[in-house]
Amino acid sequence: MKNSIIIAAREFKERIGARSFMIFSILGPLFILGLIYLLFTFGGNSKQKWNVLVADHGGLMQSKMMPTQDPSVVYSFYEGVITENEFAEAEKFQQYDALLEVNQKVLSNKVGFVFYRESPDLRMESRIKYHLERRLEEILIHRFGKISLKEYRKIKQPLTLKFANVYDPNNQSSDLAGWVGLFYGALIFAFIFLFGMTILRSVAKEKSNRIVEVLLASVSPKQMMFGKLIGIGFVAFVQFAFWLIIIGAGLYYMRENIFPDMLDAANLNAETLTIKAGEQSIAESHFAAREYNQFVELIYQRVQFVNMTSFFMLFFIIGYFFYGALFAAVGATTGSESDGQQFVLPLIFLLCFALFAGYYTLNYPESSLATFFHFLPFTSPVVVMVKLAQGYGEGESYQIYLALIILLISAITMLFIAARLYKNGILQFGHRVGFKHVFKWLKKV
Amino acid sequence: MLEVKNINKSFYRNEALSDLNLSVNKGEIFGLLGPNGAGKTTLIRIINRIIQQDSGSVRLEGNLMTNDDLAHIGYLPEERGLYKRMTVEKHAVFLGRLRGLSKKDIMIKLDYWFEKFNVNPWRNKRIEELSKGMAQKVQFICAVLHEPKLLILDEPFSGFDPINVELIKQELVEMRAAGKTIILSTHNMKSVEEICDRAALIHESKKIAEGSISELQSEYKSGLYSIRFRGSMIGFVNALWTGFELVDKEILGDDKFVAIVKMRRDNSFQDLLKVLIGQIEIEAAWEVLPSMQDVFIRKVSGDNSDLN
Repeated sequence: MKNSIIIAAREFKERIGARSFMIFSILGPLFILGLIYLLFTFGGNSKQKWNVLVADHGGLMQSKMMPTQDPSVVYSFYEGVITENEFAEAEKFQQYDALLEVNQKVLSNKVGFVFYRESPDLRMESRIKYHLERRLEEILIHRFGKISLKEYRKIKQPLTLKFANVYDPNNQSSDLAGWVGLFYGALIFAFIFLFGMTILRSVAKEKSNRIVEVLLASVSPKQMMFGKLIGIGFVAFVQFAFWLIIIGAGLYYMRENIFPDMLDAANLNAETLTIKAGEQSIAESHFAAREYNQFVELIYQRVQFVNMTSFFMLFFIIGYFFYGALFAAVGATTGSESDGQQFVLPLIFLLCFALFAGYYTLNYPESSLATFFHFLPFTSPVVVMVKLAQGYGEGESYQIYLALIILLISAITMLFIAARLYKNGILQFGHRVGFKHVFKWLKKV
Repeated sequence: MLEVKNINKSFYRNEALSDLNLSVNKGEIFGLLGPNGAGKTTLIRIINRIIQQDSGSVRLEGNLMTNDDLAHIGYLPEERGLYKRMTVEKHAVFLGRLRGLSKKDIMIKLDYWFEKFNVNPWRNKRIEELSKGMAQKVQFICAVLHEPKLLILDEPFSGFDPINVELIKQELVEMRAAGKTIILSTHNMKSVEEICDRAALIHESKKIAEGSISELQSEYKSGLYSIRFRGSMIGFVNALWTGFELVDKEILGDDKFVAIVKMRRDNSFQDLLKVLIGQIEIEAAWEVLPSMQDVFIRKVSGDNSDLN
């Protein structure tokens, strides 16, 4: 173990001191921040004006919503039942962006449903909820009239408004949060590929310049491989920490200075509020404030960064060892550095396949193939990230730990297999690698 | 010191070592000779526990070797490399620590070796900035830094200029005097004659000879003697008469020669000296032994005839 640490320390120091490390540690996250900024500024602005059809079966709303018209939402009323399918398919409903379903039950259980065609941003959701809530207050007061509106607000229960995509009411397909998961998963694989290649090149180089024989006179091949994996892994970890800090600080800066949170009281401008107070309610003035596209909302409000980052770390570390061992084994089995490049192709294919599995899960999260990918160690780091961002169903969270355990066991197995290949391949020079060699070396103790 | 018994090693169907036995005594320089592909490097790797033998044993000071013994072995492989980006000092510290030395110890020893081998001006330079000879000195220093009891050198002189070859030879002789045991695998037969006490010859995975250098040479000696003398060559030939035969001669000056003589009948070296004394002025006389180069070639080619 001591020798592994010495080797790890050498790998770590050599790489951490390289100029390319600092460049990639700083420019990489700045580039990502730049992309995020562009996405925030120009990316897919969500619809600013919504046409909402209120299906008011019992005529509860009396074709009224707000006393003053909100310019960004126009309500139309339909006194009858409209199913989601009708709303989704029927020609006459295509002009509406969303269907707000209201019936007598809403008065007692305080649950309403909105079926949208395109996902509303959080502010639009708040708007509709706010409008409906106010209107229901009026109706209730009118019905049970012996109480003042002020007193009623003290005892009322909050309204829950459930939003669902009309084309996918059970919310099975992708949403933006899933993309964040895929981004995380892709980040894991980008790091694994980058540092996996570092491992491979480093092993192949040690073979080609023959330092390996000097080292092997003091350390076992297994110690050497572990040392290398740990050393380069630490480099990856430090690099990732740089990324996390820089991207985190950048997002915080953007939130504070470029895209402030309009719903946060601290960011309200008192003067503007006073002027507007005469014309509109305070809540309305919130809505009148500048609005952002769905990406801003996604990054700052929907994604559970702490949760995702913790699991990201776990899957990243174990996934790194799983793939890293594979890269080390390939490096050790190659006859020359250029030979190694050829053997990288199947590994690249494997990594691309994992990304595809993530994308597939994004689109078909409930499919059995997605479940298979979720547990398959080659793909689980990406797929779990996607699922994590989409959210696990109730009682499903054990799956994430199961995937983690499978990955861990696979990583340990892979380390043993790679150690054997490493041991038997590291002193073979100048041969052309074929699967015949690999199988021979695998069989050899 | 080191005993190798019945070692067998095959790489798949290729036999690399076959029932090989060797014994290296403490405090000697032992030459490991053999043509390329004979199995020398395989044997060295087995002794260094880099690869494992299929059967047989390696004992160091009477005990079966374990990984812990590696701390007492220094190894300079034939195909040796260094991390080009590391500085000389950092590289030596890295390899020294792998051999179990503390950083403090390493620094003290480095001061000594760098001074001795004149490496100090390059101490903080990167390996890639060094000349080949300087890099080889660094490699040698790294191999001996932990003061091993047994030093194994695979082709240590390749790539060195004659001055550095002498430097290394001198160092090996000093180490032998200090009681260290050295195994030297080389094709440089002149060095073998000069510094090795004993040697073994490996050919096609088998040991075909082992013994002291003079024993090995004696095996192929041809009964020739060299005489360096002053006087007349005619007088010299007349003195030989029918009991001896002049095989070759070399003129060193007007009246100075080296003659190579073969005995006839039962005449001995003593008889030769007797007939010559008084006829010429003998400066030196010695038995002509085959060079290790000749021994090597003849052993490998299976030629058992006398050298003529």
